[in-house]
Amino acid sequence: MDLKRIRQDFPILRDSAEHKPYVYFDNACQSLRPQVVIDAIQDYYVKMSACSGRSMHQLAAAVTQGCDQARSKVAKFLNVAKKEEVIFTRNTTEGINLVANSLELHAGDVVLISDKEHNSNLIPWQLQAKRRGIVVRIIPSQVDNTFDLDAFSRLLDAKVRLVSLGFTSNLDGVTIPAAEVVKRAHKNGSLVLLDAAQTTLHQRIDVKSLDVDFLALSGHKMLGPSGTGVLYGKYRLLEQLQPFMVGGETVASSTYESCEFLPLPERLEAGLQDYAGIMGLGAAAQYLQGMGFDTIQKQERLLNETITEGILKIHGLKLIGPQDAKLRGSIATFYFDDVDSHRVALMLDQMDAIMVRSGQHCVHSWFNAHQLKGSVRASLAFYNTEEEAARFVDNLNKIRKVL
Amino acid sequence: MFCIVAFVVLSILGIFSATNRQLAREALDCVLRRVTFRPCTTGFDEKMKAKILGKVINYSQPVARFLNQYFEALAWTFFLLFLASSIFAVRGLYLFYTTGSCNGLNQAGFCVFDPTGANNQISAAVESCSVTPRTASNLTLNGVDMSSFPVLNPDSKDKIVFIGCYDCAYTRETYPIIMSLARHYNASVTFLHYPVKESTDYMSKVSYCAYQQDPSKYWAMNDAFFDTDKATMDSSGFVKTTLTDLGYDYATFQVCMNDPATEKAVQNQLAQIDKTNFYGTPTVSIDGEWFVGPKPYRVYAIGLAGLLYWLK
Repeated sequence: MDLKRIRQDFPILRDSAEHKPYVYFDNACQSLRPQVVIDAIQDYYVKMSACSGRSMHQLAAAVTQGCDQARSKVAKFLNVAKKEEVIFTRNTTEGINLVANSLELHAGDVVLISDKEHNSNLIPWQLQAKRRGIVVRIIPSQVDNTFDLDAFSRLLDAKVRLVSLGFTSNLDGVTIPAAEVVKRAHKNGSLVLLDAAQTTLHQRIDVKSLDVDFLALSGHKMLGPSGTGVLYGKYRLLEQLQPFMVGGETVASSTYESCEFLPLPERLEAGLQDYAGIMGLGAAAQYLQGMGFDTIQKQERLLNETITEGILKIHGLKLIGPQDAKLRGSIATFYFDDVDSHRVALMLDQMDAIMVRSGQHCVHSWFNAHQLKGSVRASLAFYNTEEEAARFVDNLNKIRKVL
Repeated sequence: MFCIVAFVVLSILGIFSATNRQLAREALDCVLRRVTFRPCTTGFDEKMKAKILGKVINYSQPVARFLNQYFEALAWTFFLLFLASSIFAVRGLYLFYTTGSCNGLNQAGFCVFDPTGANNQISAAVESCSVTPRTASNLTLNGVDMSSFPVLNPDSKDKIVFIGCYDCAYTRETYPIIMSLARHYNASVTFLHYPVKESTDYMSKVSYCAYQQDPSKYWAMNDAFFDTDKATMDSSGFVKTTLTDLGYDYATFQVCMNDPATEKAVQNQLAQIDKTNFYGTPTVSIDGEWFVGPKPYRVYAIGLAGLLYWLK
């Protein structure tokens, strides 16, 4: 892996006289963007800058073609059977909300989620519980925060209509055994929705082999533009969804009394789309696929092992999730009982331009249940280096000696 | 406590930087919470502490450790220092406004608002033998016979006594201010000419004789003298031209100038001035309060009409 060359693809990582070299370890929040993504966005505004589909002129045709190509790239990235199964959204949250609000659910239907879901995969179901009377059941994790398949199986019963789980946790980087989860859920007659926001940058996702029913992802966490996302769904299931956002672009025709919806994917993509973002997302998917996930995982594992080995020696540091770095993918989340996590994050930033996330990472429910105020999260990506990992450990050591 | 100090510092820095302006807003929010006995939930103090420690730790870990351990105590110390310096700053500002010096009336210590000490400059008088030290606190009009000195608006209840010399730069700066004040507030002005420079010794006689001949023209003559360039005043024909232009009988004036009684009277006047213990010009007494050096108009006006002089 030619890291030096790869880092040159990311303008923000190039050497600058204006600031110290950034150590960007907040990739779980947003990844950085390579030049190809920026170029794709710019191309739209410079070369097209028009509507897709509805207009007949040559610029519109170019936009339609650009978006169509982007959909194909994402479809290939996820190994989707039909590209119409790729619905563009603004982010993972919107994808999950689309399912939560559009899937036929009745009072008493059970939705299973885990005990460490991002708010995006918790609040939409809480709201449906209030509005439609569904029941939200929580699958407890094992002691080391890994997924408990047995507990999951115990909770699966005839009432479980949907299993909605984070594919990879943004809290501790643990990836669930998705294939097995899908298998057991389907055997039970339940649908499965995976929140893949934290997976797309780090692991190959093959929706066909996973046989997952729905999968939501965010562009901004996989090198793509912010404000872009995708909801994948099996065609027949997407067709059954009742659109909860409707209006422009979703219908073929309307009268004062009724309307005729367009086929997929347009019927679920209400309003004028973020064409530049969609094209950027397509470029990001293509770039990631070109990188190869074996290389990506090898690099991230190496970095996480370096960090884990270093920080576990720090007095009073408590790691969230399994101690084995291999089980935590690209994330190392930790806390000190006696030091505020925000202080650690701010100091790392001030000391050596090391950017990490602090707080509860939108998993308030888990922190509240464990009576923890917050934590520091270092989340890695393939473009991070071993030298950066060492800088991180070194600075964290200094902080511990002072605080 | 840290929020208050930070708010002030960041507000000042915020004049030049938008980032600091935003931080100042956060600090203000924190201050408002603290003064209303609510906890500061903005995380501002935590953020600033981390930022400071993050910078310091790169230079010295022991210092960073010390800062971390005693941050609250240090914040209190800085707050108390800030409070004390604020009190002194406000006091200094008030004193400068009312007396022309941050240190108080006629005090010559350094003042940031008057860094050159211009408001306390004097043309020093030649020291005479005196048992009483020549200081502002020893200035007095007790026992001073001022009956022979020129006086404007003698019946006014507000009394200004102005010791100055025609040839002294600071007196020349002060004279128009005093006259403007006297005219505005209809105050009495007694002018005591004291020739600090030997070359203008004769001007005491000029002043005496002119007043003796026609008091009504005296102040016009004084205005002309102070309005004329100092170099011109030294020329021999200057006094004659000025007095003649004002309608004085110059022949009679000459007789007075050569009269031995005039010399005696002038010596007596100088002796009376000396009794005030003055030590330089200009020295002004307004209703018994002494102002040494050329003060701004407002200082004399406050002495005469109080803090709200501009309302009167």
